[in-house]
Amino acid sequence: MSGSRDVVPARAWMSVVQKVGTPIMSTVLAIGVGSLIIWISGYDPVEAFAALFKGAFGGPRQIGETILRSTPLILAGLAVGYGFRAGLFNIGAEGQLMMGGLLAAWLGVELAGLTPLITIPTLLLVGALAGAAWAFVPAILKARIGAHEVITTMMFSHIARYVVSWLTAGPLKAPGQIPQTVNLSANAQIPRIQSLFSATTLEALPFFGLGRAHLGVFIAIIAAVGVWLVLRYTTLGYENRAVGLSPWAAETAGISVQWTTVKALCISGALAGLAGAVEVMGLHHRIFDQFSAGVGFTGIAVALLAKNHPIGIIAAALLFGALSAGSGTMQLEAGVSQKIILIIQALVIFFVAAEGIVNWFIRKRQKEATSGAE
Amino acid sequence: MPVLELREVTKVFPGVIANDKVSLVLEEREIVALLGENGAGKSTLMNIVYGLLSADQGEILVDGQPVKIRSSRQAIDLGIGMVHQHFMLVEPLTVTENIVLGREPGRLGIIDMKAARERVAEISERYGLRVDPDAKISELEVGLQQRVEILKALYQGARVLILDEPTAVLTPQEVRELFAVVRSLVDEGLSVVFITHKLEEVMAVADRIVVMRDGSVVGEVRPSETDEIGLARLMVGRDVVLRIDKEPSQCGDVVLEIRDLAVKSDQELDAVAGVSFTVCGGEIVAIAGVSGNGQTELVEALVGLRSPQSGSISLKGTDITHASARSSIEVGVSHIPEDRHRRGLVLPFNLAENLVLGDHRLKPYATRGVMHPREITAMAKKRIEDYDIRTPSEKVLASSLSGGNQQKVVVAREIGRNPELLVAAQPTRGLDVGAIEFVHRQILGERSAGKAVLLISLELEEVLSLADRVLVMYEGRIVKEFVAEEADAETLGYYMTGGGGTKLDDGADVSPTGSEVGA
Amino acid sequence: MLSDVITPDLFAAALRIATPLALAAIGGTICERSGIVNIALEGIMLIGAFFGTATVLATGSPWLGVIVAVLAGVAISAVHAVASVNLRTDQVVSGTAINLLALGLTGFLMELWYGHPGTTQPIPTLQPVFRIGAMGEGFLGEVWRWINGVFLSHTPIVYLAIIIAIGAQWALYHTRWGLRLRALGEHPRAVDTAGVSVARGRWVAVLMSGALGGLAGANLSIEQVGVFQEGFTNGRGYIALAANIFGRWTPIGSYLASLLFGFADALQIKLQPFRDVIDLPPEFFLMVPYVVTVVVLAGVIGRAVGPAQVGVPYEKG
Repeated sequence: MSGSRDVVPARAWMSVVQKVGTPIMSTVLAIGVGSLIIWISGYDPVEAFAALFKGAFGGPRQIGETILRSTPLILAGLAVGYGFRAGLFNIGAEGQLMMGGLLAAWLGVELAGLTPLITIPTLLLVGALAGAAWAFVPAILKARIGAHEVITTMMFSHIARYVVSWLTAGPLKAPGQIPQTVNLSANAQIPRIQSLFSATTLEALPFFGLGRAHLGVFIAIIAAVGVWLVLRYTTLGYENRAVGLSPWAAETAGISVQWTTVKALCISGALAGLAGAVEVMGLHHRIFDQFSAGVGFTGIAVALLAKNHPIGIIAAALLFGALSAGSGTMQLEAGVSQKIILIIQALVIFFVAAEGIVNWFIRKRQKEATSGAE
Repeated sequence: MPVLELREVTKVFPGVIANDKVSLVLEEREIVALLGENGAGKSTLMNIVYGLLSADQGEILVDGQPVKIRSSRQAIDLGIGMVHQHFMLVEPLTVTENIVLGREPGRLGIIDMKAARERVAEISERYGLRVDPDAKISELEVGLQQRVEILKALYQGARVLILDEPTAVLTPQEVRELFAVVRSLVDEGLSVVFITHKLEEVMAVADRIVVMRDGSVVGEVRPSETDEIGLARLMVGRDVVLRIDKEPSQCGDVVLEIRDLAVKSDQELDAVAGVSFTVCGGEIVAIAGVSGNGQTELVEALVGLRSPQSGSISLKGTDITHASARSSIEVGVSHIPEDRHRRGLVLPFNLAENLVLGDHRLKPYATRGVMHPREITAMAKKRIEDYDIRTPSEKVLASSLSGGNQQKVVVAREIGRNPELLVAAQPTRGLDVGAIEFVHRQILGERSAGKAVLLISLELEEVLSLADRVLVMYEGRIVKEFVAEEADAETLGYYMTGGGGTKLDDGADVSPTGSEVGA
Repeated sequence: MLSDVITPDLFAAALRIATPLALAAIGGTICERSGIVNIALEGIMLIGAFFGTATVLATGSPWLGVIVAVLAGVAISAVHAVASVNLRTDQVVSGTAINLLALGLTGFLMELWYGHPGTTQPIPTLQPVFRIGAMGEGFLGEVWRWINGVFLSHTPIVYLAIIIAIGAQWALYHTRWGLRLRALGEHPRAVDTAGVSVARGRWVAVLMSGALGGLAGANLSIEQVGVFQEGFTNGRGYIALAANIFGRWTPIGSYLASLLFGFADALQIKLQPFRDVIDLPPEFFLMVPYVVTVVVLAGVIGRAVGPAQVGVPYEKG
């Protein structure tokens, strides 16, 4: 019953539509269902999303907030996405992110006297290594005995949470009541974008008054381009993709599936760790209990929405960054709980994954085109 | 009145007409052979009858009554049973559990295992199909598993039995047993549809032969009215050469030397238990054997996918016993894997990416970890041209090619690499005649280029027509060696099933080198 | 110190803590036996716990709360069933979406209904089934104290979980449902060609795991804690999946594995007051269940083999 499946060249616009169609329609659907929930709850969805939009894009400071929230999401999305490309689900990116932030916060204080040119790259590197190290044990367990990474990385994420709360309440605690670490000195902080401009420039060009947004966003974008290049133009990325798509064929072609698994999960962990370091160095300047705020989990939604494409991840991160940035205003002005954002995230994941719902008409169109081509 | 009748059944898959107005009649107590190449539409047709697929047009009649069969449940209720090519048996469950699955005796949802076992015993007694009702499927040999499948259909009350390529996994002896079973079933009142692409089988067993090609019925004959050549012409649509003519072997230096090799299976069993043989340049050595006698493990050890327990493998004097798959490729071992969908190709990769697989780290395709797309594209274009891969471009995904073209991609990659040794495991399984001819030509080409070829095949026809020497493998050992001209299917089958009495000592009957062959 | 740690309480706590894990783990067993991975158990428990608590808050009836918790678990698992059975979605991804949805939805409704995030008002909980005092003296009295303390001090769902474990084990190997379930995860096409609907079998299994996950949530909120707290399942759904693997995909095995996790957790709770003796920060005790899970996964079960077709969507024809 196999028969020969003839190759039918898909129409060009369709392949483009298919690439971005599902994510866009998924987002629209998710926001639609979200609106429905808001409406059922007795609020006005239009007012809510108008407030949200205002909070995310209403002015330079708001846009800055969106950029700020997107920054770690790009890196976390890359982390999860890189794992997915090797067929691995790093659901515990949150834990690696915490460890990256932890190490950056700790070492940043230790390196107080050095020039930023040394401190900042060092801390970024250390954060990435810490994330990789936190992913290493699950990676080895996966490669050697096949222990499912979803369970192990999740467990390591819970362990990381307790490590952070122990250190912030104990050995690394800053003087005072609040369990948090000492502030990073200026030489270890990633500067804000608006700090690059003088006060007079900002007055003349208020657009650059991006509030809390920091240069970390460029680190994230560079990382995204880097991951894209690695996946496309290196043997590392090629082997990563081969193992993700067919471990058996990869093994037969002399690619070590175990070693590729370890590398992939550690690189994924490194990207998550980098996210944590950037978040600490650019935004919090210290760590405290639950400073990661679920960024690692949102990274899953980002990666899935972008279909694990590094450049798409930038766009998806911007979307979730905007939702996150605007949700405060939405709660304030429309009275809708910020938790709706979590629901929308979940719905986006669901709709992207269940392509069947979203994609059926695209496929139907394509089928028509196919039979028409004969 | 026919027990089963199909009228102008049509089934269209996207881009392919699998069945085009097919009509078929099956009388009571009749054995109809449905003959055709892979992809001719035989299985699709029978899956429609069994309710696994639905026809787009046409009519099915059972006992003269038009019926709509929308599920296998309905097919079973109408007395239609089917033994699938890939067995529908649940390995960890027992014979009885498998047979009663879906129609379990008992009350209130609780299974009456005693009644089930009795019922199974009764049926197996009646049709002479003996099998231990409490054995787990995973413990049974393939022939017995097939017997369980037949019992399952009988338990479900089948009056019409469809056998889909039932002999693909059997030895000649088991095939003869199966034929005897089929005849006794017909004596008991059943009617049988026998799907196959093997000519000698239809001649032996069928009352009537229906030949399909490209989704249509192209002929209907009785065995007495035709011969194999005539059937082949009907099936393929042109004259076919059933035997390949080839030059006598020009045996060169020893390329592959295997000594006392022992390999364990995944289940920690001694899958390969002390095997020694050589293959020299310009020679094709075939390993014949029933599936599951250690061939897979032997190949995996050879290409670096499985580490041997003991013994040695050397390639042109270099020890590669414990070489990884990667270094094995690098020293010149190419491998056409048994399962091309799983191991041969990364289906969601495009052709260029698939054609460079395994060489992707090497110059000129990559230097220091950076790949060179231009070189890879150029190579891919050349291979597509050289090996006649039918595709619009090298950017097409492997998954969208036909089976034959997919195998051409694998062959192009493995032979294009210019290896010392080609290990071809079941290289033509599931391919149509044209693709089979192509693969055979390529393998013979390697031979004339002075390369060593190790062929592993379950198809005795293929073994006999390609090989210079044939080694018969049984229970992890090589029990017999033949020079190809001296072997025939019956004798091979005899040794493949453990005939010949005592197992031979390693190497005792196997010449250390093949140098005398063809000299 | 040892006699302060090794008490009837310790073992009673082990049983108590094991209960939600075991219920979820058995749910995982049933689901995976049918060929569907259910990573959503975490979220199902959370949903069950929330709606159970909300019902008790509204009606004052703990039993009604339990029933609603089970129904809520079934309802949310239906989403997983649609996704993984009908739409053939990646099951792990669909489960993740449900976990996130559960977190968001419970948090959202918490604020909508109670006006604040965090923790609900305390609710009346289900009480222990038996209340028997001390009996006898001397050695016999001590024996009774142990039996009474370990086994007879529990709330209804703790016993229900044991009954479910035994019942499910028996059903798996003696009923039509059990046979078909075992076949489903191994070779769905064999089930299909035997005339039994794969989709229906898988739907039923997913819904059953939803019911068990909801019951686990009810145990957590209506029996153990007496409130609902945002995100208070705390990874239990994932630990339950590990218990299912450790228990080799059998209900009783899942129960016993959960008991091991329960014991480890109970022990760390018991040991916490002795922090001056064992000089460790409290966070190290809290890590115990997660560390034990990883160790167990790493040690024993790497070689455990699950149903052959688990996680693979079934396509007809």
